[in-house]
Amino acid sequence: MFDNIVSETGDPGRARRLYYRSVYAIVTVSIVGLLAGMATGRELIGTSIYCVGVWLGGGISFLAPKLTDVPLQDERDTDLYNRASGLTLGVLFVGGLSVIPVIYVLEAARRIETPPEVNGAIFLASGLFLMWGVSYGIVKRR
Amino acid sequence: MENNLPRRREAAGLSQGELAEAVGVTRQTINAIERERYDPSLELAFKLAAHFECHIEDIFQPEENND
Repeated sequence: MFDNIVSETGDPGRARRLYYRSVYAIVTVSIVGLLAGMATGRELIGTSIYCVGVWLGGGISFLAPKLTDVPLQDERDTDLYNRASGLTLGVLFVGGLSVIPVIYVLEAARRIETPPEVNGAIFLASGLFLMWGVSYGIVKRR
Repeated sequence: MENNLPRRREAAGLSQGELAEAVGVTRQTINAIERERYDPSLELAFKLAAHFECHIEDIFQPEENND
C-alpha cells in the first residue's frame, strides 16, 4: 500500500504522513471509545473498542515499516523515541524519589493517610521501574 | 558535529528528499542533520560518504570547541 503511494506520487512523505495519521487516528478512536464507554455505562463495548484499536494501531506501527521499502521510520525516529522515553523515566524517577519516601514516612508517623489512588500510582511507578530494569538487563546482554 | 552536507547536496543538484531516498531515510532526518540537530549513526554516515564518493571526515567534522 505504501509502496503504491510512492510509485504513484513519487512522494515518500505522503506515505509517511498516511502511516502516522492512520496509527494516531486508530489509537485516538480507541481511547475515545474507552472513555465514551465509561461515561455511558457501556464499559464492555468501550474496552472492546479500546483493545481492538490499540492492537490494530500497535500492529500497524510495528509491522508496516517491516513490510514496505518506504522509510516510514528511521534511525532518527528511534533516537527521538529513546530520548523521550529516557526523559519521561528520568522525570518519574526524580519525582518518585522525592515524593514516595516522604509519603511513607508521613504515613508511618500517622501525619497523613494516603488514599488508595496514591498507593495505586506508587505500585504502577514501581512496576514501571522494575520493568525498565528487566528490559535494561535484556538489552545489555543482546 | 559540524557538517557540509547542504553544500555537497546542492552541488550534486539533489533535494533533501532525493538524498533521503538515496540513503534510505526520511527527508526530515536529512534536514535535521543539515541543521546540525541530529548526528547520524555510523551506518548512515558511511552511506552518505559512499553516496558522495568521499570519506566520512570530508562531510563531518567534530566541533572545534569540544574538549
